[in-house]
Amino acid sequence: MFRITCQQASRLLSQQMEQPLPWTQRVRLRLHLLACTACTRVASQFAAMRLAMQAWRNRD
Amino acid sequence: MATGDSPASTAIDFETLATHRPYLLKIARLELRDEHLAEDAVSDVLTQAYEKRAGFAGKSSLRTWLTSILKNHIVDLVRKQWREEPLPETGDNGEHEFDRLFDATGHYTRQPADAGNPAELAQQDAFLVAVQRCIEKLPRRIGQLFVLREVFGSDTDELCKDLQITASNVWVQLYRARMMLRTCLEGTGFGRA
Repeated sequence: MFRITCQQASRLLSQQMEQPLPWTQRVRLRLHLLACTACTRVASQFAAMRLAMQAWRNRD
Repeated sequence: MATGDSPASTAIDFETLATHRPYLLKIARLELRDEHLAEDAVSDVLTQAYEKRAGFAGKSSLRTWLTSILKNHIVDLVRKQWREEPLPETGDNGEHEFDRLFDATGHYTRQPADAGNPAELAQQDAFLVAVQRCIEKLPRRIGQLFVLREVFGSDTDELCKDLQITASNVWVQLYRARMMLRTCLEGTGFGRA
C-alpha cells in the first residue's frame, strides 16, 4: 500500500514545492526516494529550476 | 527624525527609478512574451511608482517595491488575456500527458540527468540561459503561471485569486511546467553537457 510509481512520485515532488504533503503521501514519497535514483535526480532537477529562477531574477 | 515623508521616499527621483528599468523589463518580457506589452507595462509601473513615491516606506528595497507594483499590473493583464482565452483544463488532469516518459510499471524509461548540486548549478550562467530559453518554449499560459510562481513568488492562494483558477488546476499546471522544463533541459544536458 506504500508503493508508488515514479510518475506518482514526480507529481508529489512538484506538489511538495507548493504546500506540505499529508503525512501518508510524505511517507510514500520518502520511501520511494530511498530506493529510486531516477526520482532523486528529478527532485534535484526541480530544486535546480527553482534556485535558477531566483538567481536569474537577481542577475542584472 | 522629522515628520512627514520618510527620507527614503523623498530621495527617489525618476532617474533612480529608471535604473531598475532593465530589470523590470527582463521579468515583464518573460511573463508577457510580448516586447510592446512589456515595454508599456514597465513604463506604466515607473510612472505609477513616481506618482506614489511618497508611499514608499523604505521598509523593503526599492526593487522589491517596484516588483510588487509590476506584479499587480501584470496580473491584471494576464487575467484579461486568460479571460479571453481560458487555460484549458486537461481532460485527464494531466495524468497521462507524460506517460511516454514512463514504462508500463510507472518507472522512468530514461534515467534522468544528474543535476549535481542544484545550488551550484543555479549559479552557472549557461544553465540560467538554458532555463530561460526553455521557459520561453513552454505553452504560453503554463509559462506565465510558472513565472508568476517562481519569479514573482506568488503562492497557490494568490495564483487562485489573481487568475481565477482552482488550486488543483494550479498544481497540475505547475507539474506540467516542471515536467516540460526538465524534458527541455535534458536536451541541453542539464547544464552539464
